[in-house]
Amino acid sequence: MGRAAKAAALAVPLTILYLVYTGSWSLFEAVIGFAASFIVGLLFADAVVSRPSKLYSPVRWAWALVYAVLYFTIIELRAHAQVVKLIISPGGMKPGIVRVPYSVETDYAVTTIANSITNTPGTVVVDIDEKGKKMYVHWIKVEDETDEGARRHVSMVFEKYAKRIFD
Amino acid sequence: MIAGLVDAILYYLGAALLLIGGVLDVIAAIGMNRFRNFYLRLHAATVGAIGGGFYPLLGLGMIALTMHGLGETRLYIAGIAFTTALFLALTAPVGSHALAQGAHRGRVVLPEPVVVNKLLEDEEKQGR
Repeated sequence: MGRAAKAAALAVPLTILYLVYTGSWSLFEAVIGFAASFIVGLLFADAVVSRPSKLYSPVRWAWALVYAVLYFTIIELRAHAQVVKLIISPGGMKPGIVRVPYSVETDYAVTTIANSITNTPGTVVVDIDEKGKKMYVHWIKVEDETDEGARRHVSMVFEKYAKRIFD
Repeated sequence: MIAGLVDAILYYLGAALLLIGGVLDVIAAIGMNRFRNFYLRLHAATVGAIGGGFYPLLGLGMIALTMHGLGETRLYIAGIAFTTALFLALTAPVGSHALAQGAHRGRVVLPEPVVVNKLLEDEEKQGR
């Protein structure tokens, strides 16, 4: 029962992905896609899903959507503008590696934060200390060397949304 | 009427995203040459991957959706463009992480010039 529920929880997003990717919206395609996704879900459920109820929570999906829109418009725009400015006039550069602590629990949330930090130009995660719960981030223009200051500048928004989506 | 308006918005938004992506790709290439250090070049590469890869793909999908002459094919093109954009956004940082961590662990490049290096400080404290 547990495994089937996990597989079904995984199969629904996979089916939607398959339908979008192939661009064919007939019932036949949906059934085929769901069957294949269910088999894939059975194989990978234990490694990918730990609590299937999270995948059925509409609140989490809504927060994920809000985060995606916010991230890919305002946050990325600001980061791109900063790095483009630095490329055109490299004078104002102050590169450095700072410590950024985080306080989320699940692996997915940690991955989301790390990917979000690296996907914004200007910050790249170099190393992670999972026991001490901190990331080492190469920052192209260090504005605050202290741990909490760097966290406020680099990952505060990502952490807030990652906690709501995955924790 | 409404459908035409939506088409026009999608088309011009997509065209704008394609244009921005092309410009950002050129800027990222300039940055790759201007920055004199491996870690700094990673930032220029991110501009090329997200600004020059993710957004143009989204724009391509939007433009494809408005091409009604293509029939069902426009849905295939748009779907492939959107899913490729999604997976690009998910997997581009994996490569950056691997490169940055590998470069640091192997001590192949030092992040010079540097204002502060907390990672090296901590590793020396732990005696690694």
